[in-house]
Amino acid sequence: MAMNFADFGMDTASLAGTLECKLAAIRGAGFGQVMLAANDIVGHPASATGGNRAVRESGLRVTGFEALRDFEGLGGKLHAYKVAVAKSMLELCHGVGCDLLLVEATTLKHAHADPERVASDLRKLAMLAIPLGIRIAFKPREGSRTAHDLASASDIVFRAACPNLGLALDAFDALVAQTPHDDIEALAPQQIFVVQLSDFMWHEIRSPAEHASTATHFRVFPGEGAHSDELAALVRRLDKIGYAGDFSFDVYNHDYLQMPAESVADRARAAAEWLGETVLRRALPVPNLERLAQSR
Amino acid sequence: MDEAMERESVPETSNPIGFDGIEFIEFATSRPQALGSLLEMMGFRPVARHRSREVELYRQGTMNIIVNAQPADVPRIVEPVERPVISAFAIRVRDADYAFRRALDLGAWEIPVRARAMELNIPAIHGVGESLVYFVDRYDEFSIYDIDFRPIPTVDPHPSAVAGLHLFGIVQYIGVDRTADWVEFYSRIFGFTPLSDQVRFGIMPKGLLLQSPCRNFYLQLIEPEAGAGDIPLEEHLHRVGLGTPDVRDAVAQLEKRGIEFVASQAVHANDRGALTKPYLGGVMFELVHSDSAPKR
Repeated sequence: MAMNFADFGMDTASLAGTLECKLAAIRGAGFGQVMLAANDIVGHPASATGGNRAVRESGLRVTGFEALRDFEGLGGKLHAYKVAVAKSMLELCHGVGCDLLLVEATTLKHAHADPERVASDLRKLAMLAIPLGIRIAFKPREGSRTAHDLASASDIVFRAACPNLGLALDAFDALVAQTPHDDIEALAPQQIFVVQLSDFMWHEIRSPAEHASTATHFRVFPGEGAHSDELAALVRRLDKIGYAGDFSFDVYNHDYLQMPAESVADRARAAAEWLGETVLRRALPVPNLERLAQSR
Repeated sequence: MDEAMERESVPETSNPIGFDGIEFIEFATSRPQALGSLLEMMGFRPVARHRSREVELYRQGTMNIIVNAQPADVPRIVEPVERPVISAFAIRVRDADYAFRRALDLGAWEIPVRARAMELNIPAIHGVGESLVYFVDRYDEFSIYDIDFRPIPTVDPHPSAVAGLHLFGIVQYIGVDRTADWVEFYSRIFGFTPLSDQVRFGIMPKGLLLQSPCRNFYLQLIEPEAGAGDIPLEEHLHRVGLGTPDVRDAVAQLEKRGIEFVASQAVHANDRGALTKPYLGGVMFELVHSDSAPKR
């Protein structure tokens, strides 16, 4: 087969069943990596130790660990509380052998939105992550006053200026927000720590409420939705700027949670094949990429 | 031009915590006598014992080495095993509590207070791997050892140094692509400055050198060599560098005391430096030509 599965991974949130079943389905479909949620580990019947063992024994590499939320922009006791939560997340992430923690931009009204302050909090988080060898991927969220899109998240990451702080790019959000491709081209490839891919079935999203419900219930795998061309163009754009990191399918779909994990994993496999063979062609030699790297 | 302006715009932060050298370096081992014998061959003398723990203080000239055989009492610190490892270093600062609080604000991990009754609480943060970094501000009129340690009777508490040996630095092994992270850690929390590749000391010119704000102490960060294999190395403090104004004289004197030096084609003693053979499963010392013994 021409394509390289190593570039793609699944998210446990796409699958029903125990952690072991999910990991087996992902492995069985040919994937080499998995995106985990903290609850996969702490919710394991044999506690975090059991969760860690299941992941280790699966042989899957952990793409990233989800997700620290509402961390930045808080003061006083709230800040101290969130730092404690962050430390717990970092230790879990480290315990499962993962080197990437996803951090979603806060949507709390209590949070200060001053970019300098937000950058300073993220700098602190990145510093906490350094001894554990963890990178922080900051992800914009619709409705966040600190970072509602890629451009504002990128600005904050730039202000914070930490080597282990970068961006998580969610293609779903980019599709919904109709993020201009210029915004993506403005990013340095080394600034993007992970790319999450998913599509949805409707042609447009009409309200924030619809956005929220679609994001959490109705995502589908790349190639299955209504925006395959846009998604393909986005992936090609990322490839063009030199992004060489992981792609993870962040498909949150309630229907898929009522289907056997194996058949959902097969859909993911079809998505990876579509991307690998018709969009990305990463398995082929890429002399252009090397030239690009040299010209930087 | 830009660089000069940038430097000017930086407020007085070149030595934000009043960094004033290294108070001690700590090894952890379950066989303290074996390490003690090696340290004595290297010119150190045992001068004091901890009042309540299995901890000894060795000294020569301006250098203090702590040998810690106490079982680990908090998570993420070194559990003493036969093979000695560098488990901590202590930085002399203007105000230990201030330096500690400042480090926590920046995102350092504190370790729980471990002082017992009548003992000093020496604040510490987690460093690389399982190692700790202590902040010490009692080193002028009286010292931490006056309180927590009992002197060993009839022993000269201030044995002079062999061949002017003084502390030069510590070599830290780090993971792939981790140099920038550790530069961030040491520069932001302690005020270290990365040196240009042109500045080299000793005979092991690899990796990146960081200079302490007091300019008396160096950290050398070394990533794995390309093609060193896929086995991930745990990041750790690897060896202590000792400065001496006359490397050949120091080598001769230490050889007389029974220390052997590496004498291979690639690595052998010369005017710039020397490397001892590994002892006790991996403990080695590096000699580096250096005129300036720190004060005291």
